[in-house]
Amino acid sequence: MVESSIVLILFGSFIGLLLMGAPITVALGVSALVSFLYLDENPIKFVQIAFTSVGSFPLMALPAFILAGALMEAAGISRRLVHLAESFAGPVTGGISAAAVLACMFFGAISGSGPATTAAVGMLMIPAMIKRGYDKGYASAITASAGSLGIIIPPSIPMVIFGISAIGMVAPPEAIAKFGEFQTVSIPKLFIAGFAPGLIIATTLLIMNYVSCKKRGYHGTSDGWSFNQITKAFKEGFWSILAPLVILGGIYTGFFTPTESAIVAIFYTLFVGVFIHKELKLESIFHSLETTTWLSGRVLLILFTATVFGRLLVENQIPAIVAESMLSVTDNLYLIWTMIIAFLLFVGMFMETLAAIMILTPVLLPIAYSLGIDPVHFGIVVVCSLGIGFQTPPLGENLFIASGISGTSIEEISLRALPFAFASIVGVFIIAFFPDLTLFLPRLLGY
Amino acid sequence: AKTFKVAVGDAAGGTQHELGKKFNEVLMEKTGGKHDAKLFMNGQLGSEQDTVNDAAIGTLDFSILAINNVTPFSPTVGALTLPYMIQSLDDAITLTQGPVGEQLVENTLRDAGVRIIGWAYSGFRVLTNSKHPVTTPAELKDVVVRVPKNEIMIDTYKAWGINATPMAWSETFTALQQGVVDGQDNPYITVYAMKFDEVQKYVTNLRYLFSIEPLIVSESVFQDQSAEDQAAILEAGKAATAHSAQFLRDQESKIKAELTEKGMVIADPADNEKEWIDLATSKVWPKYIDSIGGKDVLNNVLKSLGRDEI
Amino acid sequence: MAKATVLFRILGNIESYICRTLLSVFVILLFLQIISRELFQHSLSWTEELSTYMFVWFVFFGASYAAKLSAHNRVTFQFKLLPPKVGVVMEAISDLIWVCFNCYFVYLSYDFVFHKMNLFWKSQTLGVPMKYIYLILPIAFSLMTIRILQVNYYKLIKGIDIRDPESLEVEKLMDSDKQNSKSV
Ligand code: NA
Ligand code: NA
Repeated sequence: MVESSIVLILFGSFIGLLLMGAPITVALGVSALVSFLYLDENPIKFVQIAFTSVGSFPLMALPAFILAGALMEAAGISRRLVHLAESFAGPVTGGISAAAVLACMFFGAISGSGPATTAAVGMLMIPAMIKRGYDKGYASAITASAGSLGIIIPPSIPMVIFGISAIGMVAPPEAIAKFGEFQTVSIPKLFIAGFAPGLIIATTLLIMNYVSCKKRGYHGTSDGWSFNQITKAFKEGFWSILAPLVILGGIYTGFFTPTESAIVAIFYTLFVGVFIHKELKLESIFHSLETTTWLSGRVLLILFTATVFGRLLVENQIPAIVAESMLSVTDNLYLIWTMIIAFLLFVGMFMETLAAIMILTPVLLPIAYSLGIDPVHFGIVVVCSLGIGFQTPPLGENLFIASGISGTSIEEISLRALPFAFASIVGVFIIAFFPDLTLFLPRLLGY
Repeated sequence: AKTFKVAVGDAAGGTQHELGKKFNEVLMEKTGGKHDAKLFMNGQLGSEQDTVNDAAIGTLDFSILAINNVTPFSPTVGALTLPYMIQSLDDAITLTQGPVGEQLVENTLRDAGVRIIGWAYSGFRVLTNSKHPVTTPAELKDVVVRVPKNEIMIDTYKAWGINATPMAWSETFTALQQGVVDGQDNPYITVYAMKFDEVQKYVTNLRYLFSIEPLIVSESVFQDQSAEDQAAILEAGKAATAHSAQFLRDQESKIKAELTEKGMVIADPADNEKEWIDLATSKVWPKYIDSIGGKDVLNNVLKSLGRDEI
Repeated sequence: MAKATVLFRILGNIESYICRTLLSVFVILLFLQIISRELFQHSLSWTEELSTYMFVWFVFFGASYAAKLSAHNRVTFQFKLLPPKVGVVMEAISDLIWVCFNCYFVYLSYDFVFHKMNLFWKSQTLGVPMKYIYLILPIAFSLMTIRILQVNYYKLIKGIDIRDPESLEVEKLMDSDKQNSKSV
């Protein structure tokens, strides 16, 4: 069998190189190259793939969202959103930590990245929680966990990447014959579908937070809600609250496409930062440009090698084989969902989210189609599952950031984050098992 | 026995797919089941332009792609993409299967290292929009039209008095839905397959561009085959071409009826399209005469269609 | 002397300068396109193509810059279970493999651009020969190879560890925290 030997070579050398400590992009590229040579195919194909995998218009949303996020930080937009959330903390048990979750939701609505959300919220909320007598580990853990809301609530860079990977893939005719036409995937559709799941995950986190805080005896302030403070936070945060409305409102009223919305976000931030908040310095603009440079270079180099890797899988029809063997084990939809989610959680522990989406979408989406799973629903579950990976060791970007802010060890935070990981996983299963929760909103709005 | 890889630009169900399926069927029949062709739909093997290079280098066997993606590699093919060069399916058949077509096959072989062995006919790119009926260029004024990144198409719209918006295909449906753009042009088969009727209401039967999609084979792969297999490949290409013309005739009338039933309003251009034709040919042709190989090439094409030379 | 240092600093971060310029320009171009379409009902036909190609250049120079900062993600948890030397040696070997891969890719892309590419092939709206646009591949991957060697030279011979910018940021956060505990 050519197929089984090529699978062995491709995945064997990929995993071997990863364990050797090679960068992910190198592991992908070299294992693909070895397989090309083994199959006696001309690797000159790499050259065109390098160019065209990256040279796509919608992909420009990636650096644009990264840049917008970095600028929002420097322009004081993030800080005002967090202050607003904080003002809601009040007398409730676990109020201030609930406010941290709320802040992640607010910030998630302008940021497309998980670690950026954790950093922006954690910087202010972790010290605030500690000041109110919270355990440092607990404060870090809840922020790291809620940071994933940044990629579930739109806009979302992982959804852009999933959209780009999925748009080129159509349902196999057999699946259409069995389940009827599937809806087309589009980035705005994914964005709008992410709202309800974002709320669901936030709710599970809030419930877990309430239970934990009750046990730990973290009470709220004794003097009740301060409406003055809330009004003040609203006033100060006016232009920050307007940001998500501009970004998402612009997409849904037809002023611009999702790719362009990231561009508009940049200029909105520049405007607010320079003329209204008057906090944006030239130096921090340069710094934001620089951060965007290496972050984009790193991720998109992976896109190139992941595309070559994926091309090999497609040409050798490996996704079909994986699907078949999965279906031969069981054809129970819930069992298969469980297998897929478990697999994604496992991958999310070790691998960078965007790289995982690029590599896995071509393999998993055909399986989803063959089971009649809606591609938009599937994309949301993939993003939510991988989002949990931000808070799980060994590679958990949110953990690193929370640890840096609070000065608590990764080990301690991950331990404290376990209940929240559990809560999020429950949320993911709810989202996976009840597709209508995800799909009613896009349907309602005519998508 | 060999399974050839065929790159197909479009999704399943269109004319490209139909051409590929028929090609595979006849190839298997002619080689007694020895060879077959596996179709990789929807640009799975790369963008249409990439596949031309891949075939030229010999890393890909076959590709089915829109003709404007061959032009960058073999400019004379561009004669077929000038606005109103082809004004009916018969024109398209005359050009692709007659002496002009033979000349183009030779040129492509020389310029690009690939051999055209068959043609899919997808029909005219009709204009659709969501605002109001359009029958004259003047009525186009307030319509924002999406076009692919294609100079000739952009220039044609300019000749009609508007700035078309170049936009990636992957963004088009959403952009139409949200109203970022109001209209687009594509063959009926695409309008139907992409469910554009959900986001567009008015159709204008423009004939400015007839979509033809060649089936190309890598010349180095072709030369590696035995004489019988080469003959089988060529015959399969011819059979698939004939099938494609019939498929278009059958489909277009069916689709028009169905789109009307779904609420689309179909109109013909005013005055037998005269104003549209005059503007496009007088303003666009002169700009591209050199790039397609000069006035002689153009006149040769016109002569074979029995039209006046310029 | 001073001039030489400035020159070195510019050369040392050449990708960063190029990328920041490219990024600013294509972001502005795309913004102009939105403005001109929405406010003036006029679409610019060349912005999409120009910005897309600038973006490709930005990405590959950015990848080289990321290599210079040692920012390409690796999986490293397995080294925690082993003596520290093992990780250093393994990473060095994998970087050597990376260098070989890049050299081969530079050869492939050079061959593609100068020998295999169709001569007529021009970009659709700007009419620039694709050859020049594809030239980024051999250039950026050569530059990246130099950067990988540079990082390893500093690490293995001079003993200066170039840490990726993310852990630097995290460390900065930790330094600013008074109750710093040594844990990461
Ligand atoms: Na978000
Ligand atoms: Na993880």
